[in-house]
Amino acid sequence: MPIKILTTVLAYLCIACMATAQASLKLPKTIKVDPEALTSEPMCDPKIPASWREAQVIEGVQIRESQRCSPDNPYLIAAAVKGTNNISMGTLMETALSPDTIIKTDDMDGDGDPDRIIIKLEVMELNGPSPDFEGLIPTFDIAPGIQPGAWVFAPKTSGMSTENFESVRANALLRLPSPVIRVEQGDIVQIVLENTHYFPHTIHLHGVDHPFSHHGYGNDGPTQTSEMHLMPGEKRIYEFQARQTGTMFYHCHVQTHTHLAMGLVGMIIVEENRPNNWLQTLNVGAGDVRHPSVAIQEEFDHEYDLHYHAMDKELHEIIQKYNDPRLIARDMNRRYDLTDSTEDYFTLNGLSFPYTLRESMIVVEPDQKVKLRVLNSGGELLALHSHGHKATITHYDGIEHNPIAQITRDVFDLAPAQRVDLTLNTTNDGLHSYDAGVWLFHDHREKGITTDGMSEGGSISAIAYKSFLNEIGFPTGTHAESLDSYFTKEFYQRKLPIWQDLDEVGSLGAPAGRSRIDSIDPETRTDIFNLIYGLLAGLILYLLFVKRQQAIQIVLSMTAKLKGSKGSANNE
Amino acid sequence: MNKNLSVLFAAILLVTVQAHAETKADAEDHSDHNIDHSMHNMDHSEHDMDHSTHDMSHDHDMSHHDGDDHGIDDPDHAGHDAEEDHADHSAHGHGHHHMDDSHIMDHEGGMIMGQNKDKLPSSCDSISEEIEITVHAGKKHAQEFPGTTFAFDQREWRVKPCTKITWHFVNDDEVRHQFMMHGLPRYLYQNGMFHLEVTGPKKISGTMIVPASDETYLVHCDISQHMEKGMKGQLVVGNGGEDLPSIPGFTPYTFPDTYPHEDLPQVSDKDNEDTIIEQVADFLDSTPFLSGMLIIGLLLGALIAPLISRIMALRKKDEIAE
Ligand SMILES: [Cu+2]
Ligand SMILES: [Cu+2]
Repeated sequence: MPIKILTTVLAYLCIACMATAQASLKLPKTIKVDPEALTSEPMCDPKIPASWREAQVIEGVQIRESQRCSPDNPYLIAAAVKGTNNISMGTLMETALSPDTIIKTDDMDGDGDPDRIIIKLEVMELNGPSPDFEGLIPTFDIAPGIQPGAWVFAPKTSGMSTENFESVRANALLRLPSPVIRVEQGDIVQIVLENTHYFPHTIHLHGVDHPFSHHGYGNDGPTQTSEMHLMPGEKRIYEFQARQTGTMFYHCHVQTHTHLAMGLVGMIIVEENRPNNWLQTLNVGAGDVRHPSVAIQEEFDHEYDLHYHAMDKELHEIIQKYNDPRLIARDMNRRYDLTDSTEDYFTLNGLSFPYTLRESMIVVEPDQKVKLRVLNSGGELLALHSHGHKATITHYDGIEHNPIAQITRDVFDLAPAQRVDLTLNTTNDGLHSYDAGVWLFHDHREKGITTDGMSEGGSISAIAYKSFLNEIGFPTGTHAESLDSYFTKEFYQRKLPIWQDLDEVGSLGAPAGRSRIDSIDPETRTDIFNLIYGLLAGLILYLLFVKRQQAIQIVLSMTAKLKGSKGSANNE
Repeated sequence: MNKNLSVLFAAILLVTVQAHAETKADAEDHSDHNIDHSMHNMDHSEHDMDHSTHDMSHDHDMSHHDGDDHGIDDPDHAGHDAEEDHADHSAHGHGHHHMDDSHIMDHEGGMIMGQNKDKLPSSCDSISEEIEITVHAGKKHAQEFPGTTFAFDQREWRVKPCTKITWHFVNDDEVRHQFMMHGLPRYLYQNGMFHLEVTGPKKISGTMIVPASDETYLVHCDISQHMEKGMKGQLVVGNGGEDLPSIPGFTPYTFPDTYPHEDLPQVSDKDNEDTIIEQVADFLDSTPFLSGMLIIGLLLGALIAPLISRIMALRKKDEIAE
């Protein structure tokens, strides 16, 4: 009887082994994600008129060519240079700015440019919630399908927050990053903050020469030392007359550990005083400066504002989880723990790759001198690397470095809040430039080239020579992979096996699932198995219970036998 | 125990009402987005105006301000004095810039769009009456609605069909607000919109004529998160259409927040002690799925109760038998 049981068990095991061997001989096929099933976006936003890329004159303002897919709106540049008070209503209507957003008056030193500048900023939420539907409004994608809730200082606008009533997309002025502000040394500048948001905010002018207070109230931003919270619906005037030049920045100083990361941070640049120096007061979206200052034009062929930022996904989701500001305040101020956080999104000028290619490439030609102003507003060190070039650090935090001691290198480290000015020389001498081409320009902390860990993403951009760009400003690189798959939501949702098209057979594509039971997700599978085991165990227990008399007898007889054999062994 | 029982009974009574309110809100779900699905672009070129006659630069000549005594070589920031009012200097002494009668903008961004003083909607034989309505907007009007930030002082207006309304929109805050109405007939109102916008504290007025049909029109401020955080209302013409969701004090949110209890040392306040009815109402308001679950619970209870009583009865029998 026991021998019979033993043979049955052995036979079963053999069959099981053979079945497994049989299965492993035939590995699953490679499956391919259907490109038709992807939500592909055009690489270049078709709504942008091609004429925006051309060099042109609007309202007497010279605007340089900008050979990229998403150039800045030239009417907006004209308004930023002349002031919204000095342009026609027609030009103003092309910008959606309010007529009082930039007021320029008073040539105090008689050198042909206005010296009294008023800039009005509002606080706008992007990708916020609605109690009426499940989507977000107004939306701003930093990469395909990536919509972190954010706050920005935005130039005062007129009309709707969205493109139109049908659309949930934010109008072009409401975007990350907060706009770059440019003022001239000695200008009397007023930044009027109109708090259109549901939380209190302030402005701190980091590195800019500004008085601690004016007219008896604070001018520095921190609510502990300088001023009261600027509550929703209130406005405040920040005023300064900067004696020193340089690349600085501004940010909110209420609950700075979250408000800065939320996007309330932008660059502010004090330019040298020159005659007839009409500055582009706002560079919305940062990047290419299409109307550089007189001093920059004297020395450089191009100027680029490069604002690097980083965001923790969990922080930016908080404002999307609740509509009630008290619950948002509870989570942001008391539940969110920055010391336990990790950064997930890395942006250059408010966008991540591949959108960085639309507007933030450093476009150059051979034998040029290019000014790069760089800000790191992320929470960690930045390690920028320029392929094919070594650039020279001329300024730290707006202060010129001793010219003899200036360093030329290919990795630039920026602490949080740090600014450096770089001079990029495109002379092909094997040192400053190795060749013309499309050379990556990226953070060398490798997570900085990911979007929530998915590569390529993050703040990747490129130094692109004009001859390597097509008519819509994209790299023509015939030797490189197609960029199409990056312009899909599915890529960043991890639904696209990124190597499936590397060869004809798809040798590194995704394997098909093995069997029905394999294709069930692991948790459900475990649950099913547990259920079966439970059923079996239950049946056995039931049988044992029903046949308990026999079972007891078997056990008794077996123990008796064992005892008997033991006893006999001992006897021997 | 008695108190708990009365709470339960009150809850049962309110369940029906609550469930009704929720379905109503559900039905309204996307109404404010659907209203104008046919709505078209606010393309700026559409309300382009005559550039030559409406040039904004003419009275802002730089020479106006020449000769000011704010030297840039001023070492001690004396130039910062008396600047306070300067930010607003552009606001004074300039009239409205008419682009056309239906789109007017002033130098501060005060705006009237879709104004209609005399064109009768095709559904109206004549103007039924002429009225003026003053609406205030601002943070202070949100105070009576916890969990909102901005609001209008009134959130529902009822008018007869074919009424000519002059709206006086008073912004009590120091930032921009809008009074934006959607869904009007397009042959009279560009993009189906009537829109007043002004930076406060200031008033702006505009006139419109409503059509004859029973309709409820969305009124809101479109500045990011202003409608979501309370600045929303409805204009009911005649018998009106369906109510819009999430109007403070009128209609519930379609997707309400939940409020778990937080154990905080609270300020003791005798006024904080709510009546039983208020407690029940709050309880139901704060737990949106409760009504359905409560009914299931009641049904289960009704089924289980006889079983329990039978078991009890059996036990008693056994005891007696023993
Ligand atoms: Cu803030
Ligand atoms: Cu508003």
